[in-house]
Amino acid sequence: MAGPNGGGQQPAPGVEARAGRFPGPSLIPKLNAIQREHGWLPREELVKVSRDERRPLYEIEGLISFYPHFRTELPRKVELTVCQDLSCWLHGGEERLAELRARYGDDIEVEFHEVSCLGRCDIAPAVAVNERPAPAADTERLVEEARDGRVSAASARLSGERWANDPYEPDARDYRLLRAVLEGTPAGEEVVGRLKESGLRGMGGAGFPTGTKWELVAKQEARPKYAICNADESEPGTFKDRQIMAEQPHLVLEGMLIGMAVTGADEGWVFIRHEYGPEEEVLREEIERLRGLGVLDGTDLKIDVFVSPGGYILGEESALIECMEGHRGEPRNKPPFPGVYGLWGKPTLMNSVETFAHVPVIVERGAEWWKAQGVRDGTGLKFFAVSGHVERADVYCVPMGTTTRELIELAGGVSGGAELLAFQPGGASSNFLGPDDLDVPLDFGPLQEAGSMLGSGALTVIAEGTDLLAAGTNVLRFFRNESCGKCVPCRVGSHKAHEMLTEAVATGNGPADLEDRLTELEATLRLTSICGLGQVALGPVMSVIGMERGGTEARPHPRPARPPDNASGS
Amino acid sequence: VAVTAPPASRTVTLTIDGHELTVPEGTTIWDAAKEAGIEIPVLCHDERYDPVGVCRMCVVDVGARVYAAACVRPCEEGMEVKTETPEVEQRRATLTQLLLVDQPPTEDDPKETTTADNELLELARRYGLQREDGIPLAYGRGEDHSNPVISVNHDACILCDRCVRACDDIQGNDVIGRSGKGYAARIAFDLNDPMGESSCVTCGECVAACPTGALVNKPIRDVPIRPRSELDSVETVCPYCGVGCALTYHVDRERNAISFADGREQPGSHRRLCVKGRYGWDYAQSPQRLTTPLIRREESYPKGPLSSDVRGEGRGRRKPGGIVSYDEVLPHFREASWDEVLDLVAGRLTAIHGEHGPGSIAGFGSAKCSNEEAYLFQKLIRAGFGTNNVDHCTRLCHASSVAALFEGVGSGAVSTTYGDIVNSDVAILAGTNTTANHPVASSFFKQARRRGTTLIVVDPRREKIADHADIYCQIKPGTDVAFYNGVMHEVIRLDLVDREFITQRVTNYGELAKVVRQYPPERAAQICGIKADTIREVARLWGEAGAAIIFWGMGISQHTTGTDNARCLIALCSITGQVGRQGTGLHPLRGQNNVQGASDSGLIPMFYPDYQLVTLDEARERFETAWGRELDHERGLTVTEIMGSALKGGVRGMYMMGENPFLSDPNVNKVRKALATLEFLAVQDIFLTETAEFADVVLPASSYMEKEGTYTNTDRRVQIGRKVLDPPGEAREDWRIVCDVATRIGLPMEYDSPREIFDELVSLMPNYAGLSYDNLSAAGKLYPNPDPEHSDGTVVLFDEQFGTDDGKAHLVPAEWLPAKELPDEEFPFVLNTGRLLEHWHTGSMTRRSYALDTIAPDAHVYLNPDDAEAMGIAEGDYVRITSRRGSIELAAKLSFRDTPGTCFIPFHFREAAANVLTIDEIDPTGKIPEFKFCAVKVERAGPQEERSESAGVREGAG
Repeated sequence: MAGPNGGGQQPAPGVEARAGRFPGPSLIPKLNAIQREHGWLPREELVKVSRDERRPLYEIEGLISFYPHFRTELPRKVELTVCQDLSCWLHGGEERLAELRARYGDDIEVEFHEVSCLGRCDIAPAVAVNERPAPAADTERLVEEARDGRVSAASARLSGERWANDPYEPDARDYRLLRAVLEGTPAGEEVVGRLKESGLRGMGGAGFPTGTKWELVAKQEARPKYAICNADESEPGTFKDRQIMAEQPHLVLEGMLIGMAVTGADEGWVFIRHEYGPEEEVLREEIERLRGLGVLDGTDLKIDVFVSPGGYILGEESALIECMEGHRGEPRNKPPFPGVYGLWGKPTLMNSVETFAHVPVIVERGAEWWKAQGVRDGTGLKFFAVSGHVERADVYCVPMGTTTRELIELAGGVSGGAELLAFQPGGASSNFLGPDDLDVPLDFGPLQEAGSMLGSGALTVIAEGTDLLAAGTNVLRFFRNESCGKCVPCRVGSHKAHEMLTEAVATGNGPADLEDRLTELEATLRLTSICGLGQVALGPVMSVIGMERGGTEARPHPRPARPPDNASGS
Repeated sequence: VAVTAPPASRTVTLTIDGHELTVPEGTTIWDAAKEAGIEIPVLCHDERYDPVGVCRMCVVDVGARVYAAACVRPCEEGMEVKTETPEVEQRRATLTQLLLVDQPPTEDDPKETTTADNELLELARRYGLQREDGIPLAYGRGEDHSNPVISVNHDACILCDRCVRACDDIQGNDVIGRSGKGYAARIAFDLNDPMGESSCVTCGECVAACPTGALVNKPIRDVPIRPRSELDSVETVCPYCGVGCALTYHVDRERNAISFADGREQPGSHRRLCVKGRYGWDYAQSPQRLTTPLIRREESYPKGPLSSDVRGEGRGRRKPGGIVSYDEVLPHFREASWDEVLDLVAGRLTAIHGEHGPGSIAGFGSAKCSNEEAYLFQKLIRAGFGTNNVDHCTRLCHASSVAALFEGVGSGAVSTTYGDIVNSDVAILAGTNTTANHPVASSFFKQARRRGTTLIVVDPRREKIADHADIYCQIKPGTDVAFYNGVMHEVIRLDLVDREFITQRVTNYGELAKVVRQYPPERAAQICGIKADTIREVARLWGEAGAAIIFWGMGISQHTTGTDNARCLIALCSITGQVGRQGTGLHPLRGQNNVQGASDSGLIPMFYPDYQLVTLDEARERFETAWGRELDHERGLTVTEIMGSALKGGVRGMYMMGENPFLSDPNVNKVRKALATLEFLAVQDIFLTETAEFADVVLPASSYMEKEGTYTNTDRRVQIGRKVLDPPGEAREDWRIVCDVATRIGLPMEYDSPREIFDELVSLMPNYAGLSYDNLSAAGKLYPNPDPEHSDGTVVLFDEQFGTDDGKAHLVPAEWLPAKELPDEEFPFVLNTGRLLEHWHTGSMTRRSYALDTIAPDAHVYLNPDDAEAMGIAEGDYVRITSRRGSIELAAKLSFRDTPGTCFIPFHFREAAANVLTIDEIDPTGKIPEFKFCAVKVERAGPQEERSESAGVREGAG
């Protein structure tokens, strides 16, 4: 059976060879079904899928070895996963990991492994027991529950606060804006116009102007078109989309549906990371509620949730699309961009959770209202996940242009009243800034001028007394772990750089003798990697190199600002 | 610099290193730069594959935030590309360094120590890099030597994905992919299995693709692999199947041996090879080659089989890889001089001819010999002995197809090439295990399907190609006529016929329509077991296709209804006008490398060269004039008829050039009696074959590798096979031996070279007109070819008329008839026979190839797992298969590809010869035996100690 992107289709210019991406429908649902039935993927079942579906075994191997969700061994009673990415690391994750390893490493009932960021930086250090996220302090209780087979499901944490971007009263979430758009008032062009005028930019990291993206997808002639809400935030320190989905699922869905109506996409998915089980539940309930309201009756609009089989790289838009098509989540060479050549080679509107969530209020209150929400030349509202050394790690909705100092104050200040050493304003891929930059407005331009970026909207705070080089190396370690391995610079370069830095951190000697080499590697990764992961992998650690480590004098060296990537759609 | 744009396409203008270029939209920067004479370094890119842009070596500065990979990035209007700035070069050097540190030390590098063309190390030298320069080294990611001829070294792998694309996009074998993620990623076979245990078919395309030492050839027969420049290269053609892939042997002259083979560019193979072509050539270097003429000792008369195996009374199981026991057989022969044996052959045949007349002589030529040799051999039999009793193994493969094609369209050759499938909307593959028997042709089918051709596979056995089908019809064995009649019924009912084509170019449509009217899909479904709706869908797809094509193999031809089966395919194409245009037509996939050419050259009892009927006075007179002898007026006997005649005292003297009927013909026990009955048998071969055990004289011949000649592939492509090696000992070229025999019986044949013979042959064969050794060039030429100096030849035949007398297609309706021997209570299974990818016919070549024999050493019967379970048979258990004609024992393989109630045995294995079981019923028109259908019973052979020790050929059960 030819798949949706099977033979016969003339690829658009620049579409790379399939190289192992076998045509045909995705096998991931079949593999998920086997894993649900058996708890893992026995070889005979895989051979059977290959035979029944007439798909090569290598394709299955490629998937099950790429996605951490798939298990090729019989699972034990308890699966204990522990995070030690930056926010958890800052909360003693490394020591906690060692303790838990000593305690459970040889326990035949417990499968113990370290994982990348669980997206629970607000309860750092975080663990998950049989996929139930929890603070590490709860490990023992949950492990014992799991041994007895009674580990309870977690539910999404709700603050109940109505954030400023929500035009709805809590009991009146009736999708009136979507209804209006479906009725043609405002018309699609008008919606695009308001978005363009509002200056709303993509909140997933690249900051591409949202209205322009919608316009581009709307004018594509190819059919069908698709829409994807990128809910795969997985970067250390980043959990704002998680909280938006928990608290504003109606805005996320409405924003995406308005986008679908405006651009002509019939099918849409929320691509949510596997670790967000509780939030997935909220979304599914909201979709049921939405259907119950009958808003979509009489339209061709269909929406669903697609659960990621795992991996930070899937947050990269083309890797996400590859995953949805049933391939290894390896980013594509771009152009073409998803707006032109996306899912199954069709025009695809992709925005992040936060971007979609901001759409309804802009549609209702207009561009001027939105612009007026910002401060210090900032435009609109911005969600931040604040974690690390702060008193109240949480998600905050603040005016764009708020400073780091203000945000840290909102979060109760640096933990224990300590002095600030450094911070990452935009997630793991943003360069470290120091105390001198506390008053830089958290906005695209100013942060870029300061040598960092707004990135994924995650402020990670580091207090005095922290080994900054070790922190930078921890960030690099995350990128090394999450590299898909497709291209040489990222696959090999991130690994070699991490090896060299680990050595430098362990021996306590400054990496001065390695600086030239790392500088060259950073340039090579930044300039030649296929996707953003490799391009930024060495940036943060390079931003702390050359400084005295951990002392009060430590200040990161911002690199000169780079021009924005206007071509990027993510 | 301006690059010529295809007409009517849009162009973009850009500058590359200051050169302004205008290129067609969609052109990559790399291609544009190449046109401008700028070479951008690459590792993952190769023009044979679509680009993936993973190594990043080809990055260029396009003035953006990051560099662009030139191999995959399309040129854009106004783009300013810089390919060689110091910054770009520095980044490339760093990328090279990153890969270099994980490589094995150069002195251990699998590529650098063999062919010495490691592309990564070349780049390292260009940038002046050392492996050890401070970046941590990594070494020890593993090696895999499980494949007998290919080594995998994961340290040397740079994950360029070339092998992945070679395996999938080029060969369609779909074995190699990436496993793991990030730095731990590596290439893997199937579910990360050892290569030798995976579904890899060892085509070696991945080795040809690999830029480093990750995938390399292992030496065969201890002949070291060295740089190409240190070896002698011979550009020739593969000796195995009818696809006729072009290849180059790299020859170690000091050892008079082949070191390794490479695919070579040719329109029908595009540098692709299969396991036989790339690794199966060492049979010629076997120590078992015959090197001296042999005469049967007097004490070894009366004649009969000399080995216990061939006698069928074997004591002790032959070890796997069984071939004729030289120890047992050779003592029955004495060495002789060429003069003595040639005199003996000429004298004895002349004497029999004198005493019993022309009809007492017969000759079997071979589809493995050249056109020149086939031509001379039939000339010897016809002009020298005055009989048309000359035939060859085409009788056993496509005789029925050829008969139907002659009757229907007036030509036995294919109407278009297999590569033409790229222009087809729909293709039917009927009864062809193409991935095993025409592997490189199958790669064209798989590629076409991925580009959008709808592939319909019709075969009772779910062969591998069925895995690639859009629609797979697993018909019941022997029901082809019913299936295709059902399809035609529906095509006519839906009025999807081409009325204009029928009116102008087809006769007898009315009769056909009348017959197929009796086959509504529901009735056809009852017979063939395919749902009526599927039959309708096939009919609709075929009828609505702009261009549709049919390929078929032995599954169509090797039936007592073989001619009828082929008639249906001809009719289906004809009534829908699907012949005579690009992407349409009839293509019987020919088996042997020269079965097309041997038939063309007259090695068949009813035709002179170029299919001129022996019964036609005009034709006979033409050849009588050319050869200066009076010729036989009657058509001669076919292969199967000759064996029957020998048993009855008709044929008494035989000359066999390169055929081994003992194993290839149906009903071995009957053939054994026939061969033993012959008064005189001369066997000319390169090994002692089973048939040679019945010989009076054995003539040591040259292998394909040791002579020059032309070979015609299934596409009608005539190619020159070049001499690669010197013949061993006193072995001589076949054509010289034939000439010497002919001269001694009074038919002087004095040729200096195959070239001279070819010229004579061409002068008598209008279809080959114009071809000569001088214009065949490296890639050969298709015939007919009105302008061989400039043209590759005619791809599509019958564009205006067919080859029949009136130029029209003659439809012959066929009624479905059941096979001759249906399963019953005693013999409840249907036996199907065929081939394996690794083996060739009777195995005399392939079982002497290290690679092929190592990969597939054993005979197996393939049983459906449900049947096996019901009989308590497990994988590897020995089972006894018995038909009314004989019984064999061999190990069972459980196979989902066979339906319940059927079993499959490859016929290559003499220790478990399938043809002990097969029935010698033949098709009335094509005279082809029903190899694809007979009734057998299957039993457990009991535990080892109780089992008869003989696995070989045993006397018949009934």
